[in-house]
Amino acid sequence: MPSPTPVLAVENITKTYGIRTILDGVSLSINRGEIKVLIGPSGAGKSTLLQSINFLIQPDSGTVALEGQTINPHDKKALCAYRQQVGMIFQDFNLFDHLTALGNVEIGLIRVKHMIKNEARDRAVTELERVGLKQHTAHYPAQLSGGQKQRVSIARALAMEPKVMLLDEPTSALDPELIGEVHSVISKLGEAGMTMMLATHQIGFARHLAHEMIFMENGRIVEQGPPDVILDGAARQRTREFCSRISGAGEKR
Amino acid sequence: MTELVYIGEEVLPALLRGLWISLILILPSSVLGFAAGVLVGALRVYGAAGFRWLANAYVLIFRGFPLIIQLYIWYFGLPRIGIYMSPYGASVMGFVLCSAAYHSEYIRGALLSIRHGQMLAAQSIGLNRLQTVLYVIMPQAFRRALPGCGNEIIYLIKYSSLAYMVTCIELTGEGKILASASFKYIEVFMIIGAIYLGMVSIATWLLSMLENHLTIPGFERYRT
Amino acid sequence: MSQGMTAIQEGFWYLLEGAWVNLIVVVGALIFGFLLGLPLALGQVYGGKILRRVFAVYVWFFRGIPLLVFLFLFYFGLVAWLDINLSAFTVAVIVLGLISAAYQSQTLRGALLSIPEGQMKAARALGMSDFQAIFRVILPQSIRLSIPGWSNEYAILLKDSAVTYALGVSELMSRTNHVASRTYQHLYLYITAGILFMILTYAGTRLMGMLQKRLTVPGYTR
Repeated sequence: MPSPTPVLAVENITKTYGIRTILDGVSLSINRGEIKVLIGPSGAGKSTLLQSINFLIQPDSGTVALEGQTINPHDKKALCAYRQQVGMIFQDFNLFDHLTALGNVEIGLIRVKHMIKNEARDRAVTELERVGLKQHTAHYPAQLSGGQKQRVSIARALAMEPKVMLLDEPTSALDPELIGEVHSVISKLGEAGMTMMLATHQIGFARHLAHEMIFMENGRIVEQGPPDVILDGAARQRTREFCSRISGAGEKR
Repeated sequence: MTELVYIGEEVLPALLRGLWISLILILPSSVLGFAAGVLVGALRVYGAAGFRWLANAYVLIFRGFPLIIQLYIWYFGLPRIGIYMSPYGASVMGFVLCSAAYHSEYIRGALLSIRHGQMLAAQSIGLNRLQTVLYVIMPQAFRRALPGCGNEIIYLIKYSSLAYMVTCIELTGEGKILASASFKYIEVFMIIGAIYLGMVSIATWLLSMLENHLTIPGFERYRT
Repeated sequence: MSQGMTAIQEGFWYLLEGAWVNLIVVVGALIFGFLLGLPLALGQVYGGKILRRVFAVYVWFFRGIPLLVFLFLFYFGLVAWLDINLSAFTVAVIVLGLISAAYQSQTLRGALLSIPEGQMKAARALGMSDFQAIFRVILPQSIRLSIPGWSNEYAILLKDSAVTYALGVSELMSRTNHVASRTYQHLYLYITAGILFMILTYAGTRLMGMLQKRLTVPGYTR
């Protein structure tokens, strides 16, 4: 089987804070249309990995390549251009508090993509419609529920037409009854063929969504493979222990 | 009758002249003071270590010295090392430098109150550093700093009366001259007090209009 | 430079005495301002409609006019008109106190309003009168909350007290002028005076901080 150029290839990323090693030589790649889910205990480095891929955290060493092009994080212009093509979803949404839902989606279109105002508005409305928030375009973040905020942030990322999306525990800050609406938006994205890398503790959701699951611990990838294999018959005992513990807890959440 | 003539021919023109000087002291000083305060505040938060130290030292001194002493240093002190300034120039410089220090406190607090995630989100959609500051950080910081900075401008209106002490004859100065000549201290200073009350009330009203205009959900708690 | 140093050395005790005068003026004004500000605050929170209105006008009036204008109005105007014998020092304390009362009442008012309604209800439920509830329950809590405000008020009053030199109060600023006009070392002397003011501000706010610590009860850590 000929291997196509991966959309995103991460090579040997390390990150240490003082004497603590957060990422210890992580490599992975993701092909077009693929969905990879990162699981593992808190502090395993999932969040740091996702933020390092976008250079929101500067890794100590290692490379990131988008469609075969290695990114030079010190070239500010190239970095901005790269980040446009990588959508990032945060645990705590990080909507711009001074802008409406519409403004949050528009700002990237106007300031980064230099679209004219009307075009940007139409595009933003379309994106908000896609995540089911057509009625809330004029609302400020303070007027939205957690689930709605996360959907706005997904619309904000989608508007930039990313080639890949990085989702950092998108539902972990949400009340249980609001998780479903965000999951369904992410599922729809997956069905539409979006390439995604997702960190989550929601094992049930991950099993249904993922093409591949990656188990991380202590800043390393311990094991990876199809969800059924990882969840039901992992080769390593640590993975099995973690999966059985989290799926028990996961269903209750 | 003579009373009315006195008021019409001497008091009114003098007070108008004084009011005009007060206004051209207050307006540029508050605008420049605010602008400099934003700069100093930003330096104290985002500046390199050396700049940050300098800016902090500046604020410590200019908030610590009474304004009247600062004015005396500019007007009576600097000539001793060969720098001469007009009463008006010394006053404006004194007001700008002092109020910038106070403004910077509010700006600094507002900048620090903006969560790190706002910056991460801005970077993640490809905004560069300048765009992030201009379109994400400043609009939020400005709203949070506005009540404090507004108060500072109100203070400046009142403290502009100190310009008289360095012989810049503004409203209070004209009043003092009039009253010393006629001994009608109560009448003259009641009128002058009323004019300051008017200026302060108008400024308060304008600032609250601005706040109302800029208030959006999620930023209400910063209002006083 | 050396001439400046000599001027400062010669006048140092004279200047220090002046700083003492500033301190007395400020402490006097703070106390007077509190005694007047407290009823102003209580009236604004618990008073009837008319009382609230009158007190609000007081606050508006004393916060809207410059200190220097008040000083001239009281010292050269009112004192002469009433034909009473008040020293510049006394007028300075009174004027600063009247202005400070307006500001202190605002701080206290905020503190009173921030006490949860349940406290008042609980006090009434114990059978306290409204008066008792306010003085035994609400005020002790609000006073603690207003200490940072006083610390701030002290710093402002201290700097403002330099303006009383316009009436000839023999405080630090006016003594600095005396020494300066004798020695022609204006720059050094004003800087020295400024530093003395800074030290007094720092010492005072530290003292307030210690007071706050002593009065702290668990749950009031702010």
